[in-house]
Amino acid sequence: MSSSTKFLTLKTCDDKKFVLDEAIAVRSQTIKNMVEDDCVSNVIPLPNVNSKTMTKVIEYWKKHSEEGVSKDVLMDFDKAFVKVHHSILHALILAANFLNDKEILDMMCQEVADRIKGKTPEEIRKEFDIKNDFTPEEEEEIRKENAWAFE
Amino acid sequence: MEGCGDFVQCLLPDMSIKILSCLDDPADLIRVSAVSSSWRQFVIGNDLCKHLCLKRFPEISSVGNMIEVENTVVPVVSQPEKSTEWLCLERNHRVYAFLSRGLSNCITEDCLIDAIHASSTDNYPEESILNTLKPGDRVERRASYWSSGGQSDPTVPETLTYKLISKLCLISEIHVQPFQAYFQFGFPIYSATAVRFRVGHPNVKIDVESDNGLESVAAQARSFCDKIVWTYTSPEFPLVQENILQKFKLPEPVLCIGGILQVELLGRVQKQQLDGLYYIWSVPLLMICRPQNSN
Repeated sequence: MSSSTKFLTLKTCDDKKFVLDEAIAVRSQTIKNMVEDDCVSNVIPLPNVNSKTMTKVIEYWKKHSEEGVSKDVLMDFDKAFVKVHHSILHALILAANFLNDKEILDMMCQEVADRIKGKTPEEIRKEFDIKNDFTPEEEEEIRKENAWAFE
Repeated sequence: MEGCGDFVQCLLPDMSIKILSCLDDPADLIRVSAVSSSWRQFVIGNDLCKHLCLKRFPEISSVGNMIEVENTVVPVVSQPEKSTEWLCLERNHRVYAFLSRGLSNCITEDCLIDAIHASSTDNYPEESILNTLKPGDRVERRASYWSSGGQSDPTVPETLTYKLISKLCLISEIHVQPFQAYFQFGFPIYSATAVRFRVGHPNVKIDVESDNGLESVAAQARSFCDKIVWTYTSPEFPLVQENILQKFKLPEPVLCIGGILQVELLGRVQKQQLDGLYYIWSVPLLMICRPQNSN
């Protein structure tokens, strides 16, 4: 690390502080804009992100900023990275949206979609803890209308 | 936030749209819309099936008006709690999902499945229209082609009518190769000066069953062709009088509903020395349903 490395301090909504190399933190377009506009004082508040989610985001940023890391290693890392409970997935989507990190956002949205693909409505409800609020008659009608999708 | 599984309810709409836009099978969207009433509201209210359909088949945007104009027909309101607007959205949801599903079956190089009728045939069955469906201009060392009847007037057109692989097809290109009579003196090419295409749907049910013999089948096919409602006619494409494959790209892909395609061969060029009459011969035709640019 060169001596000119600048560090930024990020503060999450639960008052945890993260000290991070600026070169890594600017993976977030939001932070990058703040740095470029010179409105970074001491601490950057992240009111929409909690520390648990931020830890995950930083883990991703660090891995993807490593020098000389092979594509395969990154692919394996990403694969493991998205294998989390859906509540963490959703928190990561919100965080990536706030931080404006398109890479993480796209990856997470794709993962949620992959968890939907090929599943029946019942399996989707189970996956995402969703209550079925249709009456049996309504459900029957929806099925009948688009029977081909339920074959 | 923690523990909230229902992303449609706890994420911003933009993000839920982003997630659901990652689905590329219309059946997935239909099943998603059957998960809960808020999911159903979301999928239908945001026209997600339409967006998916247009993403996969951008060609459809040109017929979008046609699909949605139908919405002016007010559905029978049996559920007073639903607005007309909602019923239309629900209908678009169904129509576009069905359309994307229907069209995904026709991503193919050659979508002619059967020959229905030729306006004339010189020698049946040796020079039948069925020969234009077999690949190549020779089968078992014998020439395989269709020949029209002879005419003394070179302006008499001929038509070949085909059934398409699916009742719902997008046609983007048409390939024609004039036939060279390599077994006649001088190797004449019995081509037309131009070619034009029409697509449409039958006004009557196709009745393939017949117990009245060949003559009546032909008569039936002819009367069937008279009852086709043509929905699109292409511009005329001039043919080069050479034995080479000629590819014609339609100005914009054409949605064929009903699965009938007619090739019109306009203008005769070649007189047969033997009888001094003009003929048009044709070898296999190839219709490209859709460029295979997507995965």
